[in-house]
Amino acid sequence: MNPQFLMDGLVAGAMIGLGAIGVTLTYSILRFANFGHGELLSWGAYLALAVSGALGLLSTSLTRPIGPFSFGWSLPLAAIVAVLLTGALALAVDAVLFGRLRARGSAVIILVMASFGASLALRSLLEFLFTSKPAYFTKALQIAMPLGAGLRATPDQLLSLAVALLAVLAVHLLMTRTDIGRAMRAVSENPALAGIAGVDVRRVIRVVWMLGAGLACLAGIMTGLLVQIRPYLGHDLLLPLFAAAILGGIGSVPGAMLAGLVVGLSEAAAVQIVGAEWRAAVSFIILVAVLLFRPRGLFGRSA
Amino acid sequence: MSAAASPIPVPALDIRALVAGYEPDLPIVRGVDLTVPSGDFLVLLGPNGAGKSTLVKAIAGVVPIKSGTVHLRGQDITSVPSHRKIARGLAFVPQTENIFATLSIHENLQLAAAILPKAERAGLIDRLYRRFPDLARQPSRLAGALSGGQRQMLAVARALIVDPAVLILDEPSAGLSPKIVGEVFSMLREINGEGVTIVLVEQNVKAALSVSRRAVVLVEGRIAHEGQADGLFGDPLLARLYLGTSHSVEAAVP
Repeated sequence: MNPQFLMDGLVAGAMIGLGAIGVTLTYSILRFANFGHGELLSWGAYLALAVSGALGLLSTSLTRPIGPFSFGWSLPLAAIVAVLLTGALALAVDAVLFGRLRARGSAVIILVMASFGASLALRSLLEFLFTSKPAYFTKALQIAMPLGAGLRATPDQLLSLAVALLAVLAVHLLMTRTDIGRAMRAVSENPALAGIAGVDVRRVIRVVWMLGAGLACLAGIMTGLLVQIRPYLGHDLLLPLFAAAILGGIGSVPGAMLAGLVVGLSEAAAVQIVGAEWRAAVSFIILVAVLLFRPRGLFGRSA
Repeated sequence: MSAAASPIPVPALDIRALVAGYEPDLPIVRGVDLTVPSGDFLVLLGPNGAGKSTLVKAIAGVVPIKSGTVHLRGQDITSVPSHRKIARGLAFVPQTENIFATLSIHENLQLAAAILPKAERAGLIDRLYRRFPDLARQPSRLAGALSGGQRQMLAVARALIVDPAVLILDEPSAGLSPKIVGEVFSMLREINGEGVTIVLVEQNVKAALSVSRRAVVLVEGRIAHEGQADGLFGDPLLARLYLGTSHSVEAAVP
């Protein structure tokens, strides 16, 4: 079998891992499974597309490819703006939907159903604004470089991997070393006690949305860069995202990333071994197996 | 104290006509007036379901207040959200789950210290470690691995980090062995000796009355008796208050 599946799996897995961090944080701190999280990936990719398109109109030199990469400075600049905009979108959805339900003390299932609704609405809005025709950040083609041992990767793929790993490291340090990270873990364990201890729980919730949405945006941009941008980009990753969040252990940032890589590699291996039509089944099998045999995942705390 | 003319000191805690409960139309605390002078050690007693816990939770901002007011050192804190009360000088130690089990001892204290200026935090945490040497021994240990008594120490240490004016504890003796209860109570007496006003909810009536200065007995969400703690334990009045409204033997004075 072709060893190239390792590289493809790692790259796909890194995107899944980035997205899964948002799922795991929302699940552990806001205490519901947000089925709208995939839409934050799609919106992130389209927002970056729109901003980078606008920057390209302002100055064509911004679209000239940087070094070995397929894109110009317009994309990294647009990524920064898009991360902030995706965060703002998540905060807006929380303000009009989830926040109101929380204030009313709604049951978890109501929040989950609401997230289905939000997902549908956000996805339809994307199709309405950008049509369902695939879009691309760049038209430049990239040749994969041989890395040795039969592995090849494009510079874009290697950069995406590096950015994903750096982002995970940064979030992990934030969670373990800073005041806000400690407050997030405290709210995840016991929101009422966190309040008594002086933690502003509403601020923590805003940070969770910004962080989860920002990482989702990055994952969406990378997926868009390496494959293509479609309104269903995030939605199609939803099952892998949840499989990774649950395999990693709810609440664990390194767990989500590691599990994302496991899911990505398993999918790529399944394509090689049993055929591409089974790719989608892999996440499902992992999800069910973890829930049956190790519900707390790799790094999760026991419930 | 700007009111130089006033000879009456401002009470640590002043509660007026307080009505509170989990459900809006089902008040559990039904009109409580209570003044706690500065430096007092007050114990709240009463049969199960009398509203003792609900009263202190309402003061701490965990249970919604329907009407009435709470003043802390003369300042109205009725509608101050729970996370801002600690900075105002009101510390609350809940009965169960009063520490973060998934955080280390040190992280529990760091979390509480986060409302203070960065430069002061390490010094204040060190001061707490000197006071609770048990906690200083393994600061990186997960709080979930601590014994019941050590958990209670950590919960109190967490509450003390900001030098509160009032420390409220909801049944700190629950689930502890008599020896540890004695240690916890003597620690509270020491804290009170340093000028911190203490309000204690207790089921362990005998131990609580031996440590506190004043006692308030709550029955059906209202104050039924208020007086000195000394001598109340043998008083038939106390038994009558515990038995008078609920006729079960289990609800009698423990």
